[in-house]
Amino acid sequence: MDRNQAHRNRRRMLKGLHFVGLFLVMSIICIPGLWIILNSFRPTVEIMAKPPVWNPSFTLDHYRAMFGGAGQGGVPVFSYLWNSIVISVTSTGIAVLIGMSGGYAFARYKFSGKSGYFVGLMLFRAVPGVALSLPLFIVFAKVGIIDTHFGLILVYVAMNVPFTIWLTDGFFRQIPKELHEAAEIDGCTRWQAFWKVEFPVARSGVASAAIFAFLTSWNEFALASQLTRSVGSKTMPVGLLDFTAEFTINWGGMCALAVLMILPALILTFIVQKHLIAGLTFGGVKG
Amino acid sequence: MRRRIPEWFVLLMPAFIVIAAVVLIPLIFSLYSSFTPYKLTRPSTLWTWIGERNYERILTDWKFWAAFGRTILFLTIALNLELIFGLGIALMVNKVTWGQRTLRTVLMFPMMFSPILVGFQFKFIFNDNVGLVNNVLQSLGSDAALPWLVDGKLAMFSILFAEIWMSTSVFAILILAGLFAMPRDPLEAAKVDGCTPWQSFRHITLPFLMPFIYIAMTIRSLDVARAYDIVQIMTGGGPARRTELLWTLMSRTGYVDAKMGLANAMGYVSILLSIAFTIYFFRKLSAARAELGMGA
Amino acid sequence: MTEVTLSNVIKRYGEHQAVHGIDLEIRDGEFVVLVGPSGCGKSTTLRMIAGLEDISGGEVSIGGRVVNDLPPRERNISMVFQNYALYPHMCVRENLGFSLHIAKRPESEITSAVNEAAAILGLEELMDRKPAALSGGQRQRVAMGRAIVRHPDVFLFDEPLSNLDAKLRTQMRVEIKKLHQKVGNTIIYVTHDQVEAMTLADRIVLMRDGHIVQVGTPLELFNAPVNTFVATFIGSPPMNLLDGVVTENRTVRLIDGQELPIPSSPRESVQPGQKVKYGFRADNLSPVGHGVSDEGETADIALRIDLSEPLGTETLLFATLASTEIQCKMLNPRPVTSGETMTCRLALEKAHIFDAQTTQVIRSN
Ligand SMILES: Nc1ncnc2c1ncn2[C@@H]1O[C@H](COP(=O)(O)OP(=O)(O)O)[C@@H](O)[C@H]1O
Ligand SMILES: [Mg+2]
Repeated sequence: MDRNQAHRNRRRMLKGLHFVGLFLVMSIICIPGLWIILNSFRPTVEIMAKPPVWNPSFTLDHYRAMFGGAGQGGVPVFSYLWNSIVISVTSTGIAVLIGMSGGYAFARYKFSGKSGYFVGLMLFRAVPGVALSLPLFIVFAKVGIIDTHFGLILVYVAMNVPFTIWLTDGFFRQIPKELHEAAEIDGCTRWQAFWKVEFPVARSGVASAAIFAFLTSWNEFALASQLTRSVGSKTMPVGLLDFTAEFTINWGGMCALAVLMILPALILTFIVQKHLIAGLTFGGVKG
Repeated sequence: MRRRIPEWFVLLMPAFIVIAAVVLIPLIFSLYSSFTPYKLTRPSTLWTWIGERNYERILTDWKFWAAFGRTILFLTIALNLELIFGLGIALMVNKVTWGQRTLRTVLMFPMMFSPILVGFQFKFIFNDNVGLVNNVLQSLGSDAALPWLVDGKLAMFSILFAEIWMSTSVFAILILAGLFAMPRDPLEAAKVDGCTPWQSFRHITLPFLMPFIYIAMTIRSLDVARAYDIVQIMTGGGPARRTELLWTLMSRTGYVDAKMGLANAMGYVSILLSIAFTIYFFRKLSAARAELGMGA
Repeated sequence: MTEVTLSNVIKRYGEHQAVHGIDLEIRDGEFVVLVGPSGCGKSTTLRMIAGLEDISGGEVSIGGRVVNDLPPRERNISMVFQNYALYPHMCVRENLGFSLHIAKRPESEITSAVNEAAAILGLEELMDRKPAALSGGQRQRVAMGRAIVRHPDVFLFDEPLSNLDAKLRTQMRVEIKKLHQKVGNTIIYVTHDQVEAMTLADRIVLMRDGHIVQVGTPLELFNAPVNTFVATFIGSPPMNLLDGVVTENRTVRLIDGQELPIPSSPRESVQPGQKVKYGFRADNLSPVGHGVSDEGETADIALRIDLSEPLGTETLLFATLASTEIQCKMLNPRPVTSGETMTCRLALEKAHIFDAQTTQVIRSN
């Protein structure tokens, strides 16, 4: 009976620890983001107040300033948002098409040196953005596509293709090849069999690959900061720096822009989160 | 017999082309320029061949070695802590019986943040004047404002914190997926056979999770250099180069000092570093897979 | 009109040769079953007929037309796969009608063809379900429906029943046979299960290691196996085979010294001293008065019974003869105790002699 009691106590204690641990972890994950959101609604005086003010007041000033165009500081947020959208969406679309074609090749065809090609492609993804930005800066300047949408789209396509291949390879591999064969026997050409059967079945996986590509483009900084110069092509991560002057930072404004940046990413990710995980693990485990 | 171009090759062609155009060719160019004293301000210097002098220079420069060593140390600490925390979080979430989906969703939260945003966020939070951390400390009665981003050690800690905050969720989520996929029978058999919880974790759960851990590591290693964004915005490598990593040093050499040749030489070192990490983890991944018999 | 002819068909995977020159003529409307142990090249052969694998050598023709280089869609065949390969994103109706949609047939024709197939297979209730919401047997039926909708020249089946449980398998076997009687098309059916082959086939093609071993009706293969492989593969339980040597007085001396008479048909074709295998089925050896009749030539053997398996109408007996485990059958069974010795009677006319070296059957000609 004593031993039962001891075990029971132990279990109760573990349960308590478990709860406290989870609570701590979740707080650490959530608080920074919430802090940013909170501060995007606080007046600057309150953010800067010494001693700190704990019960926040509410203002839309930062958003008003941000969308009010030139306002004070004059950060052209709309242009940045537009650039970000154009560049991310276009590069994602192209990267997914190219990556899907490559992923399909890896999933469905046998050829010698396959895993070598695969790892090789991934290695190109591993090249640090900063290291790549140095020569790209020079080459793009020579070719004349520096500071253009086209230049950045091109870069992001190349950057996203390897990982898109990884993900789509995993998804196509999950689809039994008999499905393609059945479609061919049912009268499809290979092209039809792909678009009418395999693509719809892998659709959610392709969507999650697209989200990953989109997030990468949307969030990229190292290359964008060097390859864009002007309002006409700067993306939001680069634009974030506009809020920092030599010694002062417009915290509230930056927070507002940060919220604007994270919102689309947040929504998209929640939509496909299940497939996202499946894609990552299948791509890797069932190698 | 007509010889056709194999279909797989046609399908991979666009990928090869775009990567060659955007990554391979610039890299070849940068390899060449790393053997010249190329300066952005004096374009003619591109045609002066100076052999391996740039490499000699960086290899004898203590600033480079300091940044290199710090980068390795930074990555080692960050990756290990991310793995340990990720494993811990995954195990905790796996044990939860209620609201698991919500917790998993919350876990994905940091994955959507742009690294630059993470840097900014923690620059704000660790700000010695208006930051959340110091505000809390002060409200709790400590009077000194800790110079989080100004003191060398504290700055390194802050950067590590930001990096770990951003990347732990990749580990947590993939390991959690592994735990979900895990068959129950071996664990139950172990329980009946008298294994303690630690023993069954050590000998059954962990080996099964290894491939998932290596996937996370591999994915992570594809992107080790994004710490650049964080450091660039939080400290810019300062104070007094105390948080200088390979990447910030390279960017400063190239863009601020305009010494492209030299910077490209450093770039090559950083590329080799990234590739070494990636290949290492790919190897581990296929070894772990082979051990569990999960396909070729 | 839709004969399928294979002449010297070869399949190579790199160095490895999976199919070694197969010759086969399948008549219009015939139900042919390719059977053999797993890995013997049945699926490969079938897939070459379907156009899913390139043909490394030889010629395949369907309905008199050489189809070697035609893609599957131009061969007018349909196929049922082992895992059914239903399109998971389409409901049953769409799955059934897919091939007709691809062929751009008019909507009214598609509807009536789909409904007809659904009626034949009893799928009317399930038309709007997705494959994930179907049971194994229902999926199987949809796969068959998809195959019959377009009235192909030839049906190909690749182990269509092996994912079903035993009871459902028996039931579907009957349905496939009925289907064949109803539509009357040529069917080529692959299985590793000899019971399926025996029950379904007009003609069985038994394969091993990429070669055809024997072609014939089920009874031909059962009663006149060409070698020990056919003898042990076809029929359950497999044929008993005893090692022995032919003696001067035309008997076979088993390794324990016991002698068994040689049946009349190979009697003149064996040489004294030849090493042979003496084969007979369990049905042809039974305790005296419990099965094998006294008509024709017989031989009596005393057997010590190791084990008995009562099956109701008969009991399967396990005994050891000349250090080899053999089985025999007892009709109108009475209880048998292990260790009991029984005199058993062998119907000599049903026994076979195989050459031990070549494993080929020895018969007078
Ligand atoms: N795609 C392939 N590549 C290499 N060898 C194969 C391939 N498909 C089948 N084989 C080999 O060909 C032989 C016959 O296979 P198969 O026709 O599938 O046998 P089964 O009779 O069981 O259907 C086997 O030895 C198999 O290993
Ligand atoms: Mg097979």
